Amino acid sequence: MKVYSIYILNKAGGLIYQNDVNPGLNRLTANDYLVLAGTLHGVHAIASRLTPALNGRDTTNPTESHSNKNAAILSTGKVQDANSNKSGLQSIETDLFNLYIFQTLTGIKFILVTSPNPVVHNLQQINRELTNRGELSKQYDQANEVFKHLYIVYSDYVMKDPFYSLDMPIKSSLFDMKVKEII
Amino acid sequence: MSKSSNNRYNGDDIWKNNTEKINSELFTLTYGSIVSQLCRDFNHNYHEVNNQLDKMGYNIGLRLIEEFLAKTGVGRCSTFKETVEVISKLGFKIFLNITPQIENWSSDNKSCSLILPDPNPLTEFVELPNLKDAEILKELWYSQILCGVLRGALQMVQLDVDVNFVKDTLRGDDKTEIRLKLNKFLKDEVPAGED
Amino acid sequence: MSNNDNDIILASATSLSTLTINDISKDGFGYNPSVGPQSNNITQETSNYLLSKRTTSITSPNSIYDKSIINKKTNEISLSSLSFLFCEIVNWCHKSSKGIQDLETRLNGLGYTVGQKYIELIKLREGFKTNKREIKIIEMLQFIHGIFWKSIFGKTANELEQSQDVSNEYMIIDNSPLMSKFISIPKEYGELNCSAFIAGIIEGALDSSGFFANVTAHSMAIPGFPLRTVFLIKFDESLSIRESLRR
Repeated sequence: MKVYSIYILNKAGGLIYQNDVNPGLNRLTANDYLVLAGTLHGVHAIASRLTPALNGRDTTNPTESHSNKNAAILSTGKVQDANSNKSGLQSIETDLFNLYIFQTLTGIKFILVTSPNPVVHNLQQINRELTNRGELSKQYDQANEVFKHLYIVYSDYVMKDPFYSLDMPIKSSLFDMKVKEII
Repeated sequence: MSKSSNNRYNGDDIWKNNTEKINSELFTLTYGSIVSQLCRDFNHNYHEVNNQLDKMGYNIGLRLIEEFLAKTGVGRCSTFKETVEVISKLGFKIFLNITPQIENWSSDNKSCSLILPDPNPLTEFVELPNLKDAEILKELWYSQILCGVLRGALQMVQLDVDVNFVKDTLRGDDKTEIRLKLNKFLKDEVPAGED
Repeated sequence: MSNNDNDIILASATSLSTLTINDISKDGFGYNPSVGPQSNNITQETSNYLLSKRTTSITSPNSIYDKSIINKKTNEISLSSLSFLFCEIVNWCHKSSKGIQDLETRLNGLGYTVGQKYIELIKLREGFKTNKREIKIIEMLQFIHGIFWKSIFGKTANELEQSQDVSNEYMIIDNSPLMSKFISIPKEYGELNCSAFIAGIIEGALDSSGFFANVTAHSMAIPGFPLRTVFLIKFDESLSIRESLRR
């Protein structure tokens, strides 16, 4: 999976960081990026309204599932997934690219645009013991990994920079470097 | 801390593996240097110093919460009780390597006290110079920055809390106690997409 | 803090090397090398200290004087806490200072008091193992470069150099200073280096040991170490006279 670009949106939906790593692709103008960010923010919010109500499969109500997750962290001390994006737009998969959206509890959204899912020619017997989602979700897991590293790098190099004001565009050169290293 | 023999304190795994550790004395000395500089800048008006420390803590808290969430992946807590438990077992453990006790829950479960263990990294080997200046004992809350940090961090997860010191061993009390009071849950600011 | 103040509020630790025989400390504390040790006479004022309830009860179990500082296991704390605290310090100094130089001076002043205290502590713990006191410049610098740096930051500094062109100038180089690990200086601030705080620590340590110096921090990035910082230590001229006398 190749990451094409990374965008970071603040709570209000404004674009605070963008990084396009694949130089072969055409670039948009600066304005277009801002519009794209705003659109994604809006679409994500609308999607959370459109999500079908939790069906019978998952009868625990959402607050309980969070408490279970927190209790798991407290008792084992193991890190869990920080993605709080449960009912908003999570991913878009097309023939040319995949887009993943991750949101934190504080409202920051990380958007990853990556290469599309690999075309699977011979669909072998999907081994249901391993995962019940099959080949196509492997990329989602990889994207999740990238997100974890990205969030940690964000909390380190952006939050600890005294010259950065909250919700403003990120201009830190160290952050740029670290992001490039992740990809 | 008699419970500690039964429950293994829980931030341990994250503390051991995911955090880069340093000597706490540099931290203690740096904090001390700031407090004394603030006292001189404000001409020993300790109420102002407390306010400034609180503001500084607030700014830190706004940023610290991201690191906390990134390192632990904690989800939204359903009750204030859970929030305080997460703060004391994970938050304090990861950042300051101490685990405060939670006590004194109010009847509506909206306020409680955190008892900070002695020694804590902010106040190790610190003594307030009460011979020169008797008011310092009555007015200065030395670790006020912690209150600001808690307030700022909880603000970013849409909880409005009041945090203040009630007792401080530096002042001669028997323990160091912080009181947390939940004012309200800021429902309007919850980001879209959470259930 | 009013913005109408035209006076720069200086960090209040005056450099020891600038104290003269006429400077009497307001608080009655602090050592002035030009004057020498204060009298130990028991006067009305000093007896207030000696007889106050707090001093006579310092052996209560909660007293800090009862705790050992040599043998205690050093507590560990997360690097993030220090980084956040430092970030806020820089922020606060930035708001109350009037320029890059002023900001660096304030950071230097804050580090100065830390350095003065740290040198005492480290000497007490580690320095006596070498069984001698450093009285030559080179020895002192090696102490700072090695034992001092290791106790504070957990690693020795990377290089120690003497300047070829200017006498009395030495450089300690650290490839990745701990406290400014996460800070990137925006282009508008050009020459600013937040390691001025660490420069203050070095300056405080040197001044308290009798080696009066001025220490500044400069960034000199090389490929692989973008945060590489050079601490330029400029000793007083009086020191070169002293060195030649000791040879």
